[in-house]
Amino acid sequence: MPATSSVNPLRQGLRQERMPEPCIMVICGATGDLTLRKLGPAIYNLALGGHLPPEFTVVGFARRPMSSEKFHAHLRAGIDQFSRNRPVSESVWSAFTAGIEYQQGNLDDPEAYAALAKRLDRIDRDRGTAGNRLFYLAVQPSLTPEVVSHLGTAGLAGSSRRTSGRQGWTRVVVEKPFGFDRESAITLNRQIREVFAEEQIYRIDHYLGKETVQNLAVFRFGNGLFEPIWNRRYIDSVQITVAETVGVEGRGEFYDQTGALRDIVQNHVLQLLAVFAMEPPVEFSANDLRDEKLKVLRAVRPMSAEDIAHNTVRGQYTSGWVAGEEVPAYRAEPEVAPDSETETYVALKLGIDSWRWAGVPFFIRTGKALPARVTEIAVQFRRAPLALFGRAGAPDIDPNVLAIRVQPDEGILIRFGAKVPGPGLNIRGVNMDFRYGSSFAVDSPDAYETLLLDCMVGDSSLFTRDDELVRAWEILDPIVETWRSGDGGPLQFYAAGSWGPPAADELLTRDGREWRRP
Amino acid sequence: MTLETLEPTTSTYLEMRDTTVRAVEAELARLWTAATTRIDRGDGTLVTEKGVPHARTSVLNLIATVSGEPASQHVLEVLLSLGSRHPSRAIVLQADPIAPGAALDARIQTHCHEGENGAARTCYEQLALTVRGEAARHLAGIVAPLVIHDLPTDVWWPGDPPFHDPIFDQLVEMADRVVVNSADFGDLLGGLKHLGVIRRRSGVGDIEWERLAPWQELTAQFFDAPRFRRYLPNLSRLRIKYAIGDTPAGGTRSPEAGALLYAGWIATRLAWRRARSREGNANGGMGMILEGRYEMVDIGIEPVATNDVPPGELLSVRLRAFGEAGSAEFIIDRPATEATIVTNADGMTALLRRIPLEAESEAEVLRRQLVLDQRDPLYEDALRAAAILLAAAQEAAA
Repeated sequence: MPATSSVNPLRQGLRQERMPEPCIMVICGATGDLTLRKLGPAIYNLALGGHLPPEFTVVGFARRPMSSEKFHAHLRAGIDQFSRNRPVSESVWSAFTAGIEYQQGNLDDPEAYAALAKRLDRIDRDRGTAGNRLFYLAVQPSLTPEVVSHLGTAGLAGSSRRTSGRQGWTRVVVEKPFGFDRESAITLNRQIREVFAEEQIYRIDHYLGKETVQNLAVFRFGNGLFEPIWNRRYIDSVQITVAETVGVEGRGEFYDQTGALRDIVQNHVLQLLAVFAMEPPVEFSANDLRDEKLKVLRAVRPMSAEDIAHNTVRGQYTSGWVAGEEVPAYRAEPEVAPDSETETYVALKLGIDSWRWAGVPFFIRTGKALPARVTEIAVQFRRAPLALFGRAGAPDIDPNVLAIRVQPDEGILIRFGAKVPGPGLNIRGVNMDFRYGSSFAVDSPDAYETLLLDCMVGDSSLFTRDDELVRAWEILDPIVETWRSGDGGPLQFYAAGSWGPPAADELLTRDGREWRRP
Repeated sequence: MTLETLEPTTSTYLEMRDTTVRAVEAELARLWTAATTRIDRGDGTLVTEKGVPHARTSVLNLIATVSGEPASQHVLEVLLSLGSRHPSRAIVLQADPIAPGAALDARIQTHCHEGENGAARTCYEQLALTVRGEAARHLAGIVAPLVIHDLPTDVWWPGDPPFHDPIFDQLVEMADRVVVNSADFGDLLGGLKHLGVIRRRSGVGDIEWERLAPWQELTAQFFDAPRFRRYLPNLSRLRIKYAIGDTPAGGTRSPEAGALLYAGWIATRLAWRRARSREGNANGGMGMILEGRYEMVDIGIEPVATNDVPPGELLSVRLRAFGEAGSAEFIIDRPATEATIVTNADGMTALLRRIPLEAESEAEVLRRQLVLDQRDPLYEDALRAAAILLAAAQEAAA
């Protein structure tokens, strides 16, 4: 094997084949909750697993005055509480903190970005990070355009020999929400694109970093068994459930302006739908994957006001009990309007007008204050063509189900009928159950670990492209508008701790189907 | 959670003296049903709690062959610490064709670990078989009915495998993957050559090779940085030191195996070709001259007597190159439990960092090997190169 300057031949074939280049990760808004709960633990676990180069450096950038040592303590508190690997390895932590700094600055102050730029140049020289920079915008969504603009003005956004003569790459990670409708998403995209090129932008949806979601592509395209039946001929319907037990958890003000449709369906659910339903990509590359996902979103059947009234249900929880604890009504939550019409529950029936999926209904539901925390995609197959075993008066065998559990307890389950041992022909459903936790001797990384590492190595496969984003809003904007106009039917209420309003059940029962109880 | 701290929450134990494969097979089949599970608490038999059968979890069949009861006990302990992280049906075989007594004794143990954070309980089983007399020459026939069908089967052969014994071939034939420890080979060159011709679906695993993983990672990290990568084609010297016990009888049988595999790895990745042997040093070291891309490469492998790390562990690696700005050196020193990583390049000496680098437990290394389910071309290349280097060194010494 020839040794070249562009590839490290000693890296090839090693377990850590995807080692990022030395780089600096700048967390804008570093003192917030996201850093504490997710980013700090994710970076620590990447370091613990040996996935980061020794030169890797983190710079916390935020308004609050703080020394680097205090910032270490802030990160450490989050890792101690939220890391999947605890207790913290002191030796790894010690080496890890050598590459963590804090830069105080108001995110609306151009001077702060100039000072940040100087610091990053100094780190490049001192730690050999070669001008590679990853900006993670852990800021309130309303601040994103301003932060991006300041990064550009300070010369921090270039990739960027053309703008500053600096070597190396620059990438930016943007958290959801990506706008609140099609127009605002286009505006946000435009604002970011004025500073960063599309290939520099990583719109993160942590659902796509989950092992089961990634495994979905392997499950479909890596096995000869499933892809042939992944179509309208064999599949009766698909249910996607994203159920939360929690209420709005102190996010009342944000949530009351957002609602379940925008908060969950626009990103998580439609991305799950797209990965589930897409055609095999030509290559397993970022743009090919995203092209295929986009095709699915484009094929989602537009709904008229009448369709929306017929095929959507919006609900809001009233007081009730979840997991043994009393939950107040949504309208009684802090910072929520007492007459709020915001939906905390959504059920939808969508159609995909493609050769593969024509006629297969996709039932979607998501809600807060539901009895269980679960995210899954459940495929219900068509019944056997002949009720061979039902002639003796026994009920029909339940149709086969394939459930892809995204969280918790990630895995895949297939349910089929089997004869109960003994005399007679009693048939009952049994499960074949694959669980990540008990089938592999390695822990699944947290989604943020996967996505951060992807970002550092420049793999945008699991990130949302601008056209996917706009198309997702095009699907949902008419629903929001119709609901707002009152033509979509009244807001339904459900008791906290129940599986949603009765109207959601009727959405399926009128078709002779019913929701799974995951 | 470390492997060493794991304790099973529930264990069952069943001893079967002078038994048959059919009886063992039947007992294994009944094992996970509530009515017949027996828990040895000294008071007879019990069903599982609440009468609910435990769900067995298995990701592979693991067959380990040992000689003698102490070795059997050691292997069972290693497997126990592996259990909840790598649940398998483990079959530990102790075969003695010339021993008197019953042809087959069996001991069946089950272990269950509570899952963390509400995860499901993990249960698995260990089967220790003692085979005597003529039956010991037909191990494959004994083991075949006892493996779980449609699961991968790994054969782990701790110690010095009897490469020329038909029993070895019988068991290898059953395996998807064979795991050995080349540092335990009595005849290292013969063993490396033999490993090189074993063809199994998932290849060969080597505990000693797995122990090199952090060294390979640290070495590769030097050259991830583009400014150092340009030195790679100009490497001209490689020095490797490895540990041997400081008493003559101490240590593994072939402690040089890891150093040779490391040299083989570098040589194959950088396409060094064999040129000639040179004499090693007086301490039992080895020396070779290879042809690099632009430079001749002088390789030296040297043993160091120490008890600070287990025999066979690497102690230091030093790579030297000539570049446009003079010579450069890349150094990893690990005298005990901490490694120091230093570069001396571009006219500057830089202490890159100190990191903990403790010798890993056998269970941890084995666990990583068992995760692999495919051939490792990197190892296969390094293995061939190590055999060539060792043959050359032995030739020079002779």
